[in-house]
Amino acid sequence: MPAPTSRRALLTGAAALAGAAPILAAPLLTAPAIAQSKVEIEFYFPVAVGGPITKIIDGYAADFMKAHPDIKVTPVYAGSYVDTLTKAVTASKAGRGPQLAVLLSVDAYSLIDDELILPFDQLATTAEDKAWLAGFYPAFMRNGQIDGHTWGIPFQRSTIVMYYNKAAFQDSGLDPEKAPATWAENTAFAEKLTRREGDRTTRWGIQIPASGFPYWLFQALAIEAGAELANANGTKVNYNDPGAVEALQYWLDLATKQKVHPPGVVDWGTTPRDFLEGKVAMIWTTTGNLSNIRANAKFPFGVAMLPAQKRRGSPTGGGNFHLFKSASPAQQAASLTFLKWITSPERAAQWGIDTGYVATSPAAWQTPAMKAYLAGFPAAAVARDQLEFAVPELSTHDNQRVTQALNDELQAVLTGRKAPKAALDAAQANATRLLRPYAR
Amino acid sequence: MKFATRTLEIAGAWMLGIMWVTPLLYAAWTAFHPADFATHFDLTAPLTLGNFVRAWQAAPFARYFLNTTILVTIILVAQFLLCTPAAFAFARMEFPGRDILFGVVLLQLMVMPDVLLVGNYRTMAQLGLVDTILAIALPYLGSAFGIFLLRQTFRSVPQELDDAARLEGCTLMRRIWRVYVPLARPTYIAYGLVSVSYHWNNFLWPLVITNSVTTRPLTVGLSVFASTDQGIDWSIITAATLMTSAPLLLAFLLFQRQFVQSFMRAGIR
Repeated sequence: MPAPTSRRALLTGAAALAGAAPILAAPLLTAPAIAQSKVEIEFYFPVAVGGPITKIIDGYAADFMKAHPDIKVTPVYAGSYVDTLTKAVTASKAGRGPQLAVLLSVDAYSLIDDELILPFDQLATTAEDKAWLAGFYPAFMRNGQIDGHTWGIPFQRSTIVMYYNKAAFQDSGLDPEKAPATWAENTAFAEKLTRREGDRTTRWGIQIPASGFPYWLFQALAIEAGAELANANGTKVNYNDPGAVEALQYWLDLATKQKVHPPGVVDWGTTPRDFLEGKVAMIWTTTGNLSNIRANAKFPFGVAMLPAQKRRGSPTGGGNFHLFKSASPAQQAASLTFLKWITSPERAAQWGIDTGYVATSPAAWQTPAMKAYLAGFPAAAVARDQLEFAVPELSTHDNQRVTQALNDELQAVLTGRKAPKAALDAAQANATRLLRPYAR
Repeated sequence: MKFATRTLEIAGAWMLGIMWVTPLLYAAWTAFHPADFATHFDLTAPLTLGNFVRAWQAAPFARYFLNTTILVTIILVAQFLLCTPAAFAFARMEFPGRDILFGVVLLQLMVMPDVLLVGNYRTMAQLGLVDTILAIALPYLGSAFGIFLLRQTFRSVPQELDDAARLEGCTLMRRIWRVYVPLARPTYIAYGLVSVSYHWNNFLWPLVITNSVTTRPLTVGLSVFASTDQGIDWSIITAATLMTSAPLLLAFLLFQRQFVQSFMRAGIR
């Protein structure tokens, strides 16, 4: 009869374990006691612009810890935005995630759907905290405001602006202080700026890049033509809105009809270099390029808001801070302290000056450092002034696949494989199918 | 006729060679010239080492070199130690379920490592190894590809040599060590090259499982230059790429003959 014996053995074992449990548990119990004296938070951040970003962030963390000796902040560089998202989600699902992460503001829906992040409004409840939340530019807050909660704190934010070569404007008989304000002017200027030698174009009038994330630049055109690409709660897209079709037709015509824009898909990464080398006179790209172009342009250049059709407009872009559920109450409080510190006007101004990102609060633009910077470089204020017309970046549930549906069709049109209307209808059908589970 | 085929072969080889070496030549050109000449070819362009200095200072590359070296060494040694007995067992030993087991090992070749990201992370977290070099290496220590390659080589070792060694009174371990391993040397070199270059270049898993400078490999350092919001600074990125791949390139040039021969032998058998 082996059964009773083995059961007894099991019971004995269990008793032994139970006896040992208090000893085993003891170190675990003391751990929070230590944590109370010093709260540790970890945050993941991506690097998306040139320059010694990791050193700047490490410097911020060191300064913060000097001011708050009871909190230990560990910044962890995590690659590109996509890499950072992968790393944060993987680590969180394995129970070892960070407390904070800077991720694309448009990933908020996915993070909420995966039940990974916490809203800030439940944490920031004092009058002072509420004032802090209300202190950012509303345009930067909107991507993070979902279902009545605030899920993202603006940090490295941008919009699209136009950079133009003033020397080229001059040699084409244009006023170098007057950038195109409407689509019609935009086309007319681009035609004057384009230089041809026989069949070869030595200088293009305009370049709107379409590699990687064409939806972002397309969204600017669509806003200007009066279209809203998605509804406010991320459950429905309007890819085939008449305004969107008009926008895509305009983009295509610049390349195929007026021939002032390079044919096909213009590469995002090399567009600034084309501009710096004088191969193109006007480019649309992120404000994050400001420092780069300022440092390397050998000709006078201007920065301007994007031209208007029905209205002016640009989507916002870039990354927000997100707070992960793994954070204990003490860590949540410490995270809040850290966020308030790193988004303070002085810090936000310095970050904007160092990187070219748009400082996230009106107060930051009133700091002495920012005023001195603007006095020497007024072009830096264009992105801020354009915020008045800014619209949140295209963002929905299942965001990556829903925007990819649009990206594929946009590139199909630009490479001449599809007509704008047919392509946008296809994108719309595809996205609607993907969004069906969320359309409550 | 024979001459014509030969010419065609040589022309083809040159074409392939040029296709392979062009990016490298471009990288070398760009890395040693100021940014203005990144897309202008001009023989009189001034030479500079400035790009390398800037690249070297952008991340703690000295530490990353050390980490990558430790990483590939751990993996290579462990793979040889684990794959050799496994391959021998599959090649020369009779035991029930051998072929099914071998099939299971081969099945592993079809699983993309990226699929296992969360699972592997969880395991490392349970082992308390997150943010260590060992954690980067651990999922790769047993290699189905290595076992497969060595098994094929061991099977081609003449049985007579094995029998002779057995008659001389060699133990099992001695037979593997004295007979099989020396004869499989070309396979070891070929596999070692593939393994080292794969892990030298691996990016996603090391990025995900590590957090600090003291554990991260070169590829993670290299990715600070992929500044997507800003466009690409070719000069600095090519300088950094040349710098980080230099040890592999040098090793290949030095041992070129051995590598090529070992690949040919490993392939012919």
